[in-house]
Amino acid sequence: MNENCIIDSFSIRWVVALKEEAKTIIDHYKLSVIDGKSLFPVFKNVDDTHWLILSGIGRHNAAAATSYLYSISKASKSTAWINIGIAGCGKGNYGDLCLVDKISNNYGKNRYPMTMSRSAFSKMHLFTSDIPINNYSSQELIDMEGSAFYDIASKFTSNELICLMKVISDGPENNLKDLNKDRIIDLIKSNIINIKKVISYYENLSHFDFLRNKKPYLYTQIISRWHFSVTQKYQLENLLRRIKSFFPDNNVLEIIKDCEKGASVIDILDFKIKQSEVDWSNS
Amino acid sequence: MIETIYIEKKIKNHPRTKSILSKFKKARFIEIDRYGEIFNKRNQNFRIQKFSPDLILAHKESGLVLPAPDGFGIGNSKNFYFSHMYNCIYDCRYCFLQGMYSSANYVIFVNFEDFDNALEKVIEENKSSKITFFSGYDCDSLALENVTGFAKHILGLFRKYPDIDLEFRTKSLQKDPFISGKFMENIILAYSLMPEAMSSALDNKTPTIAKRIDIMTTLAAKGWKIGLRFDPLIHGKNWKKLYGELFEKVFNSVPLKSIHSVSFGALRFPKQMFKNITKLYPEEKLFSGPLSNNDGIVSYDHDIEEEMISFCQDITTRYVDKSKIFKCSV
Repeated sequence: MNENCIIDSFSIRWVVALKEEAKTIIDHYKLSVIDGKSLFPVFKNVDDTHWLILSGIGRHNAAAATSYLYSISKASKSTAWINIGIAGCGKGNYGDLCLVDKISNNYGKNRYPMTMSRSAFSKMHLFTSDIPINNYSSQELIDMEGSAFYDIASKFTSNELICLMKVISDGPENNLKDLNKDRIIDLIKSNIINIKKVISYYENLSHFDFLRNKKPYLYTQIISRWHFSVTQKYQLENLLRRIKSFFPDNNVLEIIKDCEKGASVIDILDFKIKQSEVDWSNS
Repeated sequence: MIETIYIEKKIKNHPRTKSILSKFKKARFIEIDRYGEIFNKRNQNFRIQKFSPDLILAHKESGLVLPAPDGFGIGNSKNFYFSHMYNCIYDCRYCFLQGMYSSANYVIFVNFEDFDNALEKVIEENKSSKITFFSGYDCDSLALENVTGFAKHILGLFRKYPDIDLEFRTKSLQKDPFISGKFMENIILAYSLMPEAMSSALDNKTPTIAKRIDIMTTLAAKGWKIGLRFDPLIHGKNWKKLYGELFEKVFNSVPLKSIHSVSFGALRFPKQMFKNITKLYPEEKLFSGPLSNNDGIVSYDHDIEEEMISFCQDITTRYVDKSKIFKCSV
C-alpha cells in the first residue's frame, strides 16, 4: 500500500473504458488530463480527490489501467474504486442506471461487490465477456471489463469500497449497432444526478474509513521533535489514541514538554493513562 | 432492514429457507455456492458492513456441536456449545465477534435437524456425565428468534432430556418461545448485564439494562430459570458504585429462587483479536483503560481484575448461594 497517501478527506478512483463514457464525469468533476507521458489517459481534479483513467475496451486493458491508476495516484486503503460504463441488458430499460451485486465471467469464481444501501437503483448481475454479445437472454448486464476491474481493485481496497455501475445501452429492443458516440455520451449525461448520488455515498464511506485510519492529531508533531524507533512509533500512536479519552491535545503537549528522549515520551504517556480512569457517566 | 439475502444453492428449497425468505419481501435474493464466498473473506471491512449487514442462509456441514473451552461452565462437568448463527444484530464494543470475523453479515444455518442429531449424539456419548450446552457462542442466541425460530425448535429436543441443561445467552427481549410453553427446569435464560452508564456507551443497538431486568422478571414469574452474566466486567470511574447499584437493582427485581447461576468474567481478548478490534475502533474509550498484554491475552492489570471480581462476588454472596457463583476465565 502506498505509504505517503495524501488524501485528507476522501478519495475516488474511476476506471472507464471509453472517452465517451467518461466525458460527463470529466466535465462534472472538473477533471483535467495530467501532464507527462502516461500509459493511459489519466485525469484528476485540483484537490487530487478524484482521478479517472481511460482503460480502453476489454479485460486486459481494464486490469492494466486499474493497476496503473493505483500506482500513479497515491490511492490508499480508504480509496473507493468506481467502474462506470454502458452495458447490454436482457431485462432492464434503456438508459437506466444499475448497480452490480454479482459479477461472473467464463473463467472462474463469482464475485459479490457490496452495493450502495438504501438506494432506489436496480441491482443486477454482470457478466463480463471477452467478445461483444447480442444474445441477451441468458444474462442480466453484459460488459467487457467489469470482472477484471473488480479483481484488481479488490487488491487495493475492501469489497465495500468497490462500485460497478452500468447504464443500459442495448438489449433485445435496442440494437447494439445503433449505438454511436453521441448516444453513449447522452446515456451517461442523462444519469449524472443518479451518478452523483452514488458517488456521494462512496465519498462518505471513503471519508469515514480515512478518518478511522488517520494518525492521531499530535503524532506528526511529536515524531518531528523526538526520535522514535519503529516500535516506539507504533506505541506512540496507540498511546496518543488512548490518552485522548482523558486529556485534550494541549494538555498532552504540556505533559511531555520536558521529555528528553522519545522513550521518555512513551513512558510518561503510559504512566498518565495508567493513572486515569474512564468516565462512563459522560459517554 | 436486510436488503440482500444470499442463499446457498443446496438449501434454496429447504422449507426453513422459504419460511425465512417470506419474511423479507423487499430483499434481493442471490444464489451462491457456499457461504464462504461472501462471509469472512479477507478484503472485507467489518465496520462498513455493520452499517447495513446482509443475510446469508447456509447449510452447516461440520462442527455443529463443539466442546466449550476450559473455564467456560456453570457447574456441570461437561460443557458444549453450538451456534445456529454467526454474528449478531447488536454492536457491542467489547464483543469478540468483531475481532474474529472480517464480515458483519449474518449467517443463519437452516439445517436445524442436523443440530438435533449432533446434540443427541453428544448426549448419548456422555450419558454418565452432567452436561450443559450453550447456545449462542458465535451470536446472540435469541436476538433473531422471530426470523429463525431456532429456540422454539431446540426447546422441543431438550424436553426429551430433562437432565441435560441448555443455556441461551442473550441481550434481547425475546420471550415468545418461553411464554407460549410450559417452563422447563433444564433451560437457563442467561442475560448479559453491566451498569447502565457503561451499557449505554458500549452496548449499541441493544435493549437497555432496565428492559433486560424487566424481561428477566417476567420470565422468572413464569417459572423459567435465569442466569446472570456479568461478563465482561468493565473498569472505570466509580465502578464500585455503578456495579453496587446494578446488583441492588437486579437482586431486588429478579426473584432469588429463580436465579440459576451468576457468573463474572473480566474484560479480555486474545492479542490478535484485540489488535483487529482496536484497528476497527481506534479511538474507542473502552481501549483507553488500564489494559495490558499478559501471555497473549489483553486484559485489565491482574490486581484490577481480581479486585473487581472479588468485589462483585462479595456483594452477590449476600443474595445468592456461593455454589451458584462462577468465574468465567475463557
